[in-house]
Amino acid sequence: MIPLLQVIDAHFSYGRQAILQGISLSLQRGAMTALLGPNGAGKSTLIRLLIGHLHGQGKILWEDRPLHRWRRRELARRVAYLPQSPAFDPGQKVSEVLRMGRAPYWGAFGLESEHDLAVVGQVAKLLELEDLLDRPMDQLSGGQRQRVFIGRCLTQEPAALLLDEPNTYLDLRHQVDLLKLLRTLVRQRQLAVLMASHDLNLAGQYADQLLLMSQGRIVRQGTVQEVLEPQVLRLVYGLDMERIDRADRPPLVFPVHISSSEIL
Amino acid sequence: MKRWSAGRLIRWVVLGLLLWAAVAGGCLMVGSSGIGWPGSAVLRLRMQYTLTASVVGAALACAGIAYQLVLRNPLAEPYLLGVSSGASLAVYLWSLLHFSWLVLFNQQLFAFGGAVATLAIVFILAQRRGRLDPISLLLVGVIVNAINGSIFLLIFHLSKSQDIAQAFRFLAGGLQMDLAWAQINLVAGCFATGWIILMYLGGQLGVGGLSEAEAEALGVRVQRLRWITLIVASLMTASAMAISGPIGFVGLVCPHVARLLVGSDSRKLIPISTILGACLLALADVASRRLNQLPVGVISGFLGGPFFLVLLWRTRRQGAR
Repeated sequence: MIPLLQVIDAHFSYGRQAILQGISLSLQRGAMTALLGPNGAGKSTLIRLLIGHLHGQGKILWEDRPLHRWRRRELARRVAYLPQSPAFDPGQKVSEVLRMGRAPYWGAFGLESEHDLAVVGQVAKLLELEDLLDRPMDQLSGGQRQRVFIGRCLTQEPAALLLDEPNTYLDLRHQVDLLKLLRTLVRQRQLAVLMASHDLNLAGQYADQLLLMSQGRIVRQGTVQEVLEPQVLRLVYGLDMERIDRADRPPLVFPVHISSSEIL
Repeated sequence: MKRWSAGRLIRWVVLGLLLWAAVAGGCLMVGSSGIGWPGSAVLRLRMQYTLTASVVGAALACAGIAYQLVLRNPLAEPYLLGVSSGASLAVYLWSLLHFSWLVLFNQQLFAFGGAVATLAIVFILAQRRGRLDPISLLLVGVIVNAINGSIFLLIFHLSKSQDIAQAFRFLAGGLQMDLAWAQINLVAGCFATGWIILMYLGGQLGVGGLSEAEAEALGVRVQRLRWITLIVASLMTASAMAISGPIGFVGLVCPHVARLLVGSDSRKLIPISTILGACLLALADVASRRLNQLPVGVISGFLGGPFFLVLLWRTRRQGAR
């Protein structure tokens, strides 16, 4: 089966400074991939390269077609993107944000079809946002707001969801809720999800595939057992790591040798 | 949730036009000497004034909302990129060079030319490899405005000319009253063409207010949208400027009032802001007639300034709650 996304030897640099080097990866429908790595590893840059916001070298194929041969609107109907800090007008209503996700389908003068509103209704129901539709964005909690932005992505009816650290600003409960929701969407809608994250353990529990980045390169990719190896993590994060293997469950990793004086 | 359909769009436009027609009809009844339906000769004159005021107000308000949306800045206004300083400088030069004997080089054409030349300089300096960045544009616009102001003062100083009444009349922001119908129709045509283009882009302009990457991921070609919108809105402003001079606050306040009325959907903001601009300046023109031909720029500034401060105060109070 042709992968939804295939990246072959992609490079990107700002002037002479190389940011991404020799990136190769693929995304399949119905699978969730977590993009891990320390700050500055190139996760956000890679995601923006994949949606065509940045232009580098190498091959990026969506549904076997090179990225540059996709028209923007056409690609927006297949791929949705959520940045780390999505922009919004504080007075904007939830319904307006969700409707914006249909922009790739609007006609001239921004005209909407019946189907556009039907999709917005379905997404609002799926994400339990129906009671919030008339609320302004600045009156929502961080968790609710993040659900609205995920909703905006879903109203695009995409085949792939690219999320840049969607857990930022969320408490633990909301982080877990979000990952469960993404897992459900991956299963029910056969979505491909690529999610940048700093939480190795949560990513390990919910993702099918992990990609570990360091200094603009993918240093390890595979299952949670293959990627979350203390030796590899030590090289990437510069920390001694310990791993707890559990029967029938993904392993957990955490930094060791933290003295009480360091914590205090 | 109501669908933004073709029928709804037409209803909004027709309702807006009816509102404007009612205001304009009322304006026709008010003159410098009294209130009442005038004779045909005076009516024709008042129609000309009301139409001029409405077209200028509509163009400024429409350009204002387009600037605010595409530059992602609620304080953006149509004169930000040098239209007013360029036109003012050109009109001053025109008054010094005594080109008035040549019909082709009339004041309006000079104002339009000055505005367009300044815009071209701003765009050339602000773009980088064909890409427009809102912050660079704003900075270059402010700097070019300041340079134009300095050139204005330098020429004034060097020329030792006392004959600057024309330029100062222009700077005061009054609607020109000695216009030919052909000139008004030309500006109205420029405005109508620009308005249709901006309405066509209405949906995209709302999305264009997001970050560049988000907007592109929603199918908008952000750079193309910026170029088209800024050029169209700037040319609309330049054409309005040619027959009016700089009229403050219309392009800044009307978009904000529109936001209070219909929320943040750009598809509704453009027509509502435009109608508000047309009505506000038509009313300011009436006030001007009653106040001994006080320039409408002064009146709109006096109306718009305090209104904007109240708006700011209310917003801060809401934010503090």
